[in-house]
Amino acid sequence: MTTEKTAEKKPEYIKVDIARPRAYRWSSGRHLGKLYREALDNKRLVTNRCPKCKELLWPPAGACGRCNVEAGEDWVAMSDKGTVIQYTYLVFPLWDPHYGDRLANPYPTATIKLDEGVFLVHFLEEKDPEKLKKVKRVQAIWKEEGRGRGLADILYFRTIDE
Amino acid sequence: MGNRVAIVGIGQTYHKSNRKDVNQQEMVGEAVRAALADAQMKAKDIEAVFTANMETFENIFLPDEMMADEMAAFMKPGLKVGTGGTSGASVVEEGFHFVASGLFDTALVIGFEKQDCGDTTAAITAAVTPVWGKGVATGAIGEFAKQALTYMEKSGAKEEHAAMVRLKADKGACRNPYAHLRLGLKSIKEVLDSGYLVWPLRFLDFCPQSVGACALILASEHKAKKIAKKPVWIADVITVHQEPFRAGSFGDPTGKEEYTQDIAADRLYKRNGITNPIKDICMAEIYEPSNWEEMSHYEHLHFCPKNEGWKMVEKGITEMEGAFPVNPSGGVIATNPIGATPTIRVAEAALQVRGDAGEHQVTRDVHTALATALGGPNWTVATLLRRSL
Repeated sequence: MTTEKTAEKKPEYIKVDIARPRAYRWSSGRHLGKLYREALDNKRLVTNRCPKCKELLWPPAGACGRCNVEAGEDWVAMSDKGTVIQYTYLVFPLWDPHYGDRLANPYPTATIKLDEGVFLVHFLEEKDPEKLKKVKRVQAIWKEEGRGRGLADILYFRTIDE
Repeated sequence: MGNRVAIVGIGQTYHKSNRKDVNQQEMVGEAVRAALADAQMKAKDIEAVFTANMETFENIFLPDEMMADEMAAFMKPGLKVGTGGTSGASVVEEGFHFVASGLFDTALVIGFEKQDCGDTTAAITAAVTPVWGKGVATGAIGEFAKQALTYMEKSGAKEEHAAMVRLKADKGACRNPYAHLRLGLKSIKEVLDSGYLVWPLRFLDFCPQSVGACALILASEHKAKKIAKKPVWIADVITVHQEPFRAGSFGDPTGKEEYTQDIAADRLYKRNGITNPIKDICMAEIYEPSNWEEMSHYEHLHFCPKNEGWKMVEKGITEMEGAFPVNPSGGVIATNPIGATPTIRVAEAALQVRGDAGEHQVTRDVHTALATALGGPNWTVATLLRRSL
């Protein structure tokens, strides 16, 4: 077997500064692009429906994998209310590698079932671990400024009484 | 079915959090040389080389670019495989397919990961496309935390059961010289006293970030019979793929969709005449990033009825001396060099079939063994090994 050598020299580190940030130019595409547009312009979540099984595709997609058919343009505007299915929260700090935001600690995230039946993972406004246990019905709170990041145009989901 | 294929050489590195004494290619070389020595073969005997690694976890594109020499691939054909967490099992499947096709008589398959070069959780979070599914920034851990909570609520399992799984893993790891975390845990309390990482997952409930590599040498039937004293036959390999982020997580919290593990197990057992998995199969090495996940996988792989995974733990059935040992090596929760992790599952299952697992050899005679892999995108790969054809 391979074994660790005991007399290991103390490692010497060479620090290299990389001056230029990486630039990405992702395409949202024809179907996801519609979701981005609607979120940006109208603070609204939309998706398309499979013409065969009539299930909502989520995220919006060009084809239905179950039916193996092209999905087409049967668009549905969804409510931004839903039910929390499961949640968790970070106990150690993390950062968002895309936008460089530092995440609060703890920061609850949840799997939310929208009233139309599709699921998404998003943040919850409620941070109290005890109150979190009771969170069921939630509604999206949209960002007023800086939209254009698709689902991230929603700041978080707020508890509602229903 | 094509030609029969056997594992004739097994090699892995020891595992640690940090290896500043080697770079990626030197680390891979250690596993390759160990596999060649085990098979009593020379580098020139290898016809094709297949590799698996989580690209971008170490912040490099084409990590195998520098490795042709160390992995015995100079001027030879080969491929790199990337299927997320399952890559290390997909690479075994890839080698299996090529040798079964008759194209090659020998193939070397390698899984490797040098996590001390990068930031895995940041890479997982970043690797999710920014146009969809980005944003919750908990890496893989957040998903497994939610699954743990779901499992707890649905099955009635207690934190004590998860702690028992952790103790079982550590017991195996302490007997496995290749394992990374060998903690010498003594009590359930010790596990339950460890702090939370991502609620409700504790520090000791989740796998470490390991550095290591694992290499297997595959050979066709006529070659294997000529060169190997104890060939381990790959009876079957199956992959089931599901687009994961439609539900926003691995599997589906609502039970609306079937888990890929269920489908993979159903199909694999059916086409191999397995009617009672824990009787017909002798042991399993499964991909359990957390102790909670292990109990859930018992159910999805049909080792027990739904919501009874924790009862198998309570009864000690999956202990090393139990009727159906699972992860005697210590499993993923003890050692997780991601690209190598599923390759290690196959390697450890093969060592059990050979009877060469040393101090962590299970009590039960192992003529048939199962190795699984789990990854996002939501793939399951399952490999069935047998001692005889």
